[in-house]
Amino acid sequence: MNRIPRAAIIVSLIEALKAKDSWCGETNVQKACFFLQELADVPLALEFVLYKYGPYSFELTDELTSMRADGFLALRVRDPRYGPCYVPGELAGPLRERYPKTIARYANEVECVAQWLGDKGVADLERVATALYIRKKASDTDEDERARRIHDLKPHISISDARAAIREVEEMFAEVEHSMCQ
Amino acid sequence: MAKHIHEIRDAIHVFARLDSDERKVLDSRPFQRLRNIHQLALTHLVYPGATHTRFEHSLGVMELADRAYRVITAKENVKGSAGSVVPPGEEAWGYWRRVLRMAALCHDIGHLPFSHAAEEKLLPQGRTHESLTVDLIESDEMVGIWRKMIPPLTPEHIVKLAVGPKKLKDCIFDKWERILAELIVGDSFGVDRMDYLLRDSHHAGVVYGKFDQFRLIDTLRILPETDEEGAEPMLGIESGGLDSAAGLLLARYFMYSQVYFHRVRRAYDFHLQDFMSAWLGERGLPTKLDDFLSLTDNEVLVEMRKAADDPAHVGHDPAERIVKRKHSKVLYERNPNDSKKNPECGEAVYKAACKKFGEGVVRHDRYTQKGSDVVFPVRNRDGRIVSSFAASDVLQKVPLVNIDYVFISPEKRPEAEAWLKQERENIITPEKEEEP
Repeated sequence: MNRIPRAAIIVSLIEALKAKDSWCGETNVQKACFFLQELADVPLALEFVLYKYGPYSFELTDELTSMRADGFLALRVRDPRYGPCYVPGELAGPLRERYPKTIARYANEVECVAQWLGDKGVADLERVATALYIRKKASDTDEDERARRIHDLKPHISISDARAAIREVEEMFAEVEHSMCQ
Repeated sequence: MAKHIHEIRDAIHVFARLDSDERKVLDSRPFQRLRNIHQLALTHLVYPGATHTRFEHSLGVMELADRAYRVITAKENVKGSAGSVVPPGEEAWGYWRRVLRMAALCHDIGHLPFSHAAEEKLLPQGRTHESLTVDLIESDEMVGIWRKMIPPLTPEHIVKLAVGPKKLKDCIFDKWERILAELIVGDSFGVDRMDYLLRDSHHAGVVYGKFDQFRLIDTLRILPETDEEGAEPMLGIESGGLDSAAGLLLARYFMYSQVYFHRVRRAYDFHLQDFMSAWLGERGLPTKLDDFLSLTDNEVLVEMRKAADDPAHVGHDPAERIVKRKHSKVLYERNPNDSKKNPECGEAVYKAACKKFGEGVVRHDRYTQKGSDVVFPVRNRDGRIVSSFAASDVLQKVPLVNIDYVFISPEKRPEAEAWLKQERENIITPEKEEEP
């Protein structure tokens, strides 16, 4: 997917997350894009590695800054204790008008991801995103093995929290399989 | 008795100091090659003083990395969760200090002739100057030096800190390695950037790259991202250094707009790419280390001068444009009104100009700022952690670099300008989106 239509999807994702009361800081957007690509199969062409709070894409960090430079996004202060949140920028409107078909094509997937993740804080996002990351990397393993791997990678995530995150991700996959997101 | 500490005069930091073990790295073939790699490619054709090289920049990065390391690991500065990140004990402190210094010194040893100008076009897919840096740090010559140091250094540690997690996606970094890599190549407080802004500004003869490096480094700290439990540790600053951090980011913006993306400098970069592509042909730049180390700016410049005087040379046209200053000119530059009509206005003008005048005479230069540098933790005087973005009105207003030029050859410029004046509205108005 080219850069500008991808930017249109990211703006629509941020708007959908906002509608679900998400904080919409960089971690929220990072994890939502990870789910959009890896679980809902939207071809964002981002590479994710394990880094800050689980799966993380350096390309996406670059892209979010580029989108601010282009006026598609802006940063706003909500609470000085936390990092800023993303909001649509002054050129988000022209971007939407330029790519109505792309936005419509992926609207259901965007809505599903916002529904799944919109109310989650950073710690919850780290748990479910790491669970999805492990599921993609080791799809032939069972729940016990995945929970152990999550705990090994992120010792502050207990085995029982890891199990809960794995089950939550499985429910999300079930929704996708039942075409609720497409 | 032989001198153990070697002092090298430096235009920015007064001295760069190395001990005899580290001096062996300086004297190695990969590092000495940097004497012949210009820091700013052909920028000296616009700013005549900008003839400095990667050699002195690398020494400067090592010097700054050492200063920053001493600050962030000083007992009085290590508080709270930062304490669990810093490895305990003097031995570990000394080992990682040496690794950091050597990573800083070697972070650019894989640079190609004329630095970034020719990289994308002339290296095989998947190869970058960072991957060449890794190969060189892990080469037999350098591994021999690392092993003889006391204590011996693990090449993998040097690689991680010199290249960083963004370019080493297959490596897992622990929190300490992440902090130290951030100290060299990080978006907010990387000493690589601190040195190149100060040094490039000094040599170019502009003041835009200056900032209060001493205050900034003295206030650097390892801090949790927020006061919440489980927040990741990262580089941040004491509130007293906030304006110095804003100064660094403003310096970056002005250096990009005034020097690095100066339109004539960018035009020369394109001609340089064209010359090297024509000259090297299908074989591109060498990636076999011995061949790579033999190629510097000097070899390219000698060939370029020959080509400029020889109409039969395969690289004659771009070489002549550089040597005889017949560089391309800006036909179109992005502006806010056009962006509102079409977010891809530069691309639209570029495609239309190619159709009208041919691809060979038109170039598109598009760059938007990358990385994330305005958001980092700040420790207030009362000990609370706040976000830099909330704490600084200046940081909220630092502009972002956004370059969108369309260049055309000087011979076609009058005709192209007349054409664009007439067709501008039609070209900028976007076509309807096709089905994705």
